[in-house]
Amino acid sequence: MEIAYRIEQPLRLDVELQVRGLTALLGGSGAGKTTLLKALAGLVPANGRPFAGLPPEKRQVGYLPQGYALVPHLTAAENVALALPDDGGSAVSLLEKVELAHLADKLPGELSGGQQQRVALARALARKPRLLLLDEPTSALDAISRDSALDLLESLSRSLKLPVLIVTHDPYVASRCDHVGVLENGRIAQAGNPEDVFQRPATVSIARMVGFSNIFSGVISEITDSGVVLSVGEKRFRVETPNRPPPGSRVDWGIRPEEVMVVRPDRPLPQELRGNVLTVTVERMQKRGAGYCLQLGGELPLSMLLPRHVQDRLRLTEAASIEVVLKPRYIHLFSASD
Amino acid sequence: MIQAFLLSFKLAALTALVLLVFGVPLAYWLAFNDFRGRRLLEALLLLPLTLPPTVLGFYLLLLLSPDGPLGKIGLRWAFSFAGIWLGSIIFSLPFALTAYKEAFRAIDPEVLDVVRTLGVSRWKRWRKVILPWIWPGLLSGTLLAFAHTLGEFGVVLLVGGNIPGKTRVASIYIFDLVQALDFEAAHQAAAVFVALSFALIYAVRSLEERWKSRTGSSNR
Repeated sequence: MEIAYRIEQPLRLDVELQVRGLTALLGGSGAGKTTLLKALAGLVPANGRPFAGLPPEKRQVGYLPQGYALVPHLTAAENVALALPDDGGSAVSLLEKVELAHLADKLPGELSGGQQQRVALARALARKPRLLLLDEPTSALDAISRDSALDLLESLSRSLKLPVLIVTHDPYVASRCDHVGVLENGRIAQAGNPEDVFQRPATVSIARMVGFSNIFSGVISEITDSGVVLSVGEKRFRVETPNRPPPGSRVDWGIRPEEVMVVRPDRPLPQELRGNVLTVTVERMQKRGAGYCLQLGGELPLSMLLPRHVQDRLRLTEAASIEVVLKPRYIHLFSASD
Repeated sequence: MIQAFLLSFKLAALTALVLLVFGVPLAYWLAFNDFRGRRLLEALLLLPLTLPPTVLGFYLLLLLSPDGPLGKIGLRWAFSFAGIWLGSIIFSLPFALTAYKEAFRAIDPEVLDVVRTLGVSRWKRWRKVILPWIWPGLLSGTLLAFAHTLGEFGVVLLVGGNIPGKTRVASIYIFDLVQALDFEAAHQAAAVFVALSFALIYAVRSLEERWKSRTGSSNR
């Protein structure tokens, strides 16, 4: 489904976006993501296709706000039945679709956050929507419920051929979707497959949004067969890229923290990569999930993620001096205008 | 005594009924709409809270007397049941209105918004969502207005005077007995009042508790 919406109040938005399968709308806080969803649901005045000018009651849209907005004094089944026509449809069979039929008689206050969300989903489906809108559906869930919520959305979207628009600030959610649009400065700044957006963010701010924490500037010094040579201070990094700004131009570039690699002393690197090696010291080391997040100082202030199996072998400590390599294909150049 | 109490009940019940019928829509309007002059209107409606009942009664008496501005257009309600009924409505309005507004304020507007997106009609929204959500609040506000009207004295005395069977309500009846130094009878009537008022306030408090536990179970 193609949406094209223009909003004036409470903030200016002019958005065109394809919604197919699971589509993530990624954006920082205050970018207007929720406003766009409310406009699509008819709760904020706006112009655009589809549903232009219709009141909320007339739009075939399922809208799940962040708090799910279940009616607190109605049971799960009664909440779902609210959206069913008086003459039929079974609330319980809809609750079955979200694997919650056994909790049909519970009040929302007796359900966990994840269960409330699935009741709200069943209720939205009762309306037979042509488009499903979800506002930060995973922000209140733990990692396991987050994955199962996304699995459920994925299978519902496929089986009902229902386009789903998910507003999120969580790059992980976006990475699991079929399509991603990034909302910035009131418009869609980049849209595409999650792979494209994550590997080739169009701007520095999108890069930060999708997890690039190492962003620097440099100058193109040379064009090569596979890309460019980038000079950053004294260093000359080889970069593989289809995007080749002319020599002399200033560019911003970055590398994802999980793509910075430690050079193993027992495995010398090929000669052409030697230029991409940096000698750094470990300034700070923090547990991050099953691995570690390292803040490095020295030739460049980098952050990197170290998987546990690597740390088990290297046994790094703070203040250790190490070599890291920025592999040419992981260095990303942002368009020079940023 | 029974006559006076029956009159008090009649007055309180009719006052509470009018407040329920007109106060609930008014409270809904005030709770969910913002408009110019809202604060002024609210201050005006809440004025009887701080006004001495005799002041309110005095002005009503002037307005409703045969030569008063309202009396001239046919509302000659001074010293009649209609007069004390109007006085009671105005006097108890702040109590009912505040309670009703609190009840509406407890509704999460987002829930109402989302229910609209589900295609639920206005009638069904009131029947299935709004009224079941707030009825303890509405009932407690109405009981409060009822109890407050039962105990009222100054407004009724000034507007209605002291006409047995017409405007002599229980509180004025007790005043009469005390004036006549008939403490025995005054005791009996006063004791009935204490029991009644206690039962009513107890009911209001229980409803409020129940209502809080309901709105507290909301998933916000």
